[in-house]
Amino acid sequence: MTDTTEKRKISASGQAWRLSGRLLSETGPLIILILMAVGLLLASPPFRNPTSLMLLGLEAAAIGIVAAGQTYVILTGGIDLSVEAMVSFSGVVAAILIAGTNVAGGQIANGIPAIFAVLIALSLGLLIGIIQGVIIVALNINPFIVTLGFRSILLGVSLVATRGAGINIQKDEFMTFMTSFIDTGFIRIPVPLLIALIIYAVSWVVLRHTRFGRYVYAMGGNEVAARLSGVNVNWNKIMIYGISGLLAAISGILVMGRLQSGAYQNGTNMTLMSVAAVVIGGTALVGGTGGIWGTLVGVFIIRLVEQGLVYLSVPSNAKEIVIGAIIVLAVAIDVIRRGEVKWLRLGKSRST
Amino acid sequence: MPETHASPYLLEMRGILKQFPGVLALQDVQFNLHYGEVHALMGENGAGKSTLMKILSGVYQKDSGEVIYKGQSIHFTSPRQAQLAGITTIYQELNQIPQMSIAENIFLGSEIQRGVLLNRAEMKRQASQLLQKLHLEIDPRTPLSDLGVAQQQMVEVAKALHHRADLIIMDEPTSALSSREIEDLFAIIRELKSQNVSIIYISHHLEETFEISDRLTVLRDGRYVGTYPTQELNVDGLIRLMVGRDLSDKFPKEIFPTGKEVLRVENLTQGNRLKNISFSVYAGEVLGIAGLVGSGRTELVRALFGADPIDRGSIYIDGQPVTIRNPRDAIRQGMGLLTEDRKQQGLILKMNTRENTTLTVLKQLTPGWLTNRRAEAALTQKFIDSIAIKSSLEQLTINLSGGTQQKVVLSKWLATQPRVLIFDEPTRGIDVGAKVEIYKLINELASQGVAIIMISSELPEVLGMSDRIMVMREGRIAGILPRQEATQEKIMEYATEKVKQTITA
Repeated sequence: MTDTTEKRKISASGQAWRLSGRLLSETGPLIILILMAVGLLLASPPFRNPTSLMLLGLEAAAIGIVAAGQTYVILTGGIDLSVEAMVSFSGVVAAILIAGTNVAGGQIANGIPAIFAVLIALSLGLLIGIIQGVIIVALNINPFIVTLGFRSILLGVSLVATRGAGINIQKDEFMTFMTSFIDTGFIRIPVPLLIALIIYAVSWVVLRHTRFGRYVYAMGGNEVAARLSGVNVNWNKIMIYGISGLLAAISGILVMGRLQSGAYQNGTNMTLMSVAAVVIGGTALVGGTGGIWGTLVGVFIIRLVEQGLVYLSVPSNAKEIVIGAIIVLAVAIDVIRRGEVKWLRLGKSRST
Repeated sequence: MPETHASPYLLEMRGILKQFPGVLALQDVQFNLHYGEVHALMGENGAGKSTLMKILSGVYQKDSGEVIYKGQSIHFTSPRQAQLAGITTIYQELNQIPQMSIAENIFLGSEIQRGVLLNRAEMKRQASQLLQKLHLEIDPRTPLSDLGVAQQQMVEVAKALHHRADLIIMDEPTSALSSREIEDLFAIIRELKSQNVSIIYISHHLEETFEISDRLTVLRDGRYVGTYPTQELNVDGLIRLMVGRDLSDKFPKEIFPTGKEVLRVENLTQGNRLKNISFSVYAGEVLGIAGLVGSGRTELVRALFGADPIDRGSIYIDGQPVTIRNPRDAIRQGMGLLTEDRKQQGLILKMNTRENTTLTVLKQLTPGWLTNRRAEAALTQKFIDSIAIKSSLEQLTINLSGGTQQKVVLSKWLATQPRVLIFDEPTRGIDVGAKVEIYKLINELASQGVAIIMISSELPEVLGMSDRIMVMREGRIAGILPRQEATQEKIMEYATEKVKQTITA
């Protein structure tokens, strides 16, 4: 339809509506995070302890690295449900290689140096991610189904390989460093957190300042238009799942190192948490809008809720309820933000 | 004026007015329908036929006017209400569930139950009766996917009968049918007529409407032209009524000397959508492509551009054979495509003008690892200035007007410095002023030696802007007319079946 004053009026009000929505989605999560942190600092004296802050960062690192990968995937409009299984799988693979056994508590062969074990585990993570991407692209299957299938496969392999138990490792120099702290005098920064922050910084550059990053947003915004503009949608999609696999595998190594054990439960809940962090951070589930820093904020919000529940003496069994509620809330916010709930728009112009 | 049941009409629509933002879709349109009548509704694409029918079937609401149905003034606010009142529409794309059986489809939404369980036996029995009424010998348990398109349409008719339809609207019912199947459909239409069901028939196939209809109503540009008993008209007369408007000087066409052949297509074939298409386009030329909806115009340019695979055929650029498997290949060969649907296929609405403009050339703008944002901004600014885009670099394209959005899409392709630029409905949804700007840009590109292909459903636009006009019908080239020889009547003759005999003879 042609545009007239009528339509301009509509688009002007729509613009104001969208702008306020954008502002809210960009700064909203950060404000919530700050309010929560201040609230917790006031409410719970033990929380003010630098050690608890350090622990918060350590916990945030593992989920944060997974969520970074999930951000790439969700920005393209996809989803990776295999990440928690990948966290477990990479830890199990590395632990078996380091310990030289797949039986809990025993050693039947000479292990290999941790650094090689880790490199092998990470390569597998990248490769399995790429394989998922190839299947999604070549057979044009919904990523939801493919990654759900791989979640089962990877968990199953981890379970079979470990016979359901954890494979314990002795830390060598490399693993010790990976799980150590850098003392700044005031606060000790965990190396995993440092790795996570580097991944976030690199991801920001990749997503905002490289061709690949631009294509990620373009594919999530309108895959058909991107393809018709000459974007190699298939190749980029495959890479996206490769990245997600690799980052989940990195997280898996750090978790395994911290626990000194590779077990199939290492990644439990990470998929839900990572998706929740991405959505809370303002990235739309349909793709095309959002960003990596929002995800980091989302990760800390989730960690604060979890830690807060501990410090506020909420029984740990009740934790799941709160986390579940947060996830539903995050998705609800996502839908409302995009103005897709008719009864909430109260006669606003239909968006086209 | 009191209405009585003695009215000779099942339906009367008077003074119908419908406005969409910026467009007066219908203005003072009238339409009436006798009991048991087949009434054809005629007009070019965009004449307002579908809008009128959507008002009747409750999809749209009229802004003013009156609809009297069975002697009562009615105002449907949903298709469901119209259906309950006995008005059913059979759309071009059928609303059916292929995995379900015929009976299940007929009773979809009105299932017969015994308690909380489905009463399959009863539904099957009633479905059989309905099919018999239409003289169809099919088991109602057959899955719909096992039926041909014609039979699926018959099922839709059976469903209409099940809802006790007194009025059936058929929108392009024959577009997917073979001539044999069309005869079957006509037999059923005659059967329905004998049962006093009225039918509104919309079709681009003029010959068919002459065969099946009792009366014709013609719309043009959203206005009522007239209603005529079918036997009083002939095809030529009808075409004149449908297109009979004057060409104004809305088209600032300039003619440039035609250069060398840039693109040549030979025997391009794709399923039964495109059949042995061969043509050339020359530097500095605008080749218009006309044809009815579904004649294969968009399919042709999508196939050329590598968006859809082809079965057979060769493409030559500057006389050299090229392989185009995907849009990337096409762009590499110097082609660009401005799609019919800007919002769905042309732009990434969540991105800004700069990001959309540079999407096609991001590789050139990324010297190392990082994109050169300054170069991006400079390139985009160049187009904002040169083709007067009313947008800043960072404005999201979702907030731009239709004409401005089209210019952003154009700048995206200009950035690739194309040899061949394809415009699919370049001015759809753009207001008159912006249309002229787009035409001037087309002129300018032609003057620079770009070969231009322009698809348009608006005949005045094709006639006004093209150097040659290629008319398509049913996936084939029906004819190529030089500018001097082309008239609306001639194009319509080629686009419809009128000249089929002359060609095959």
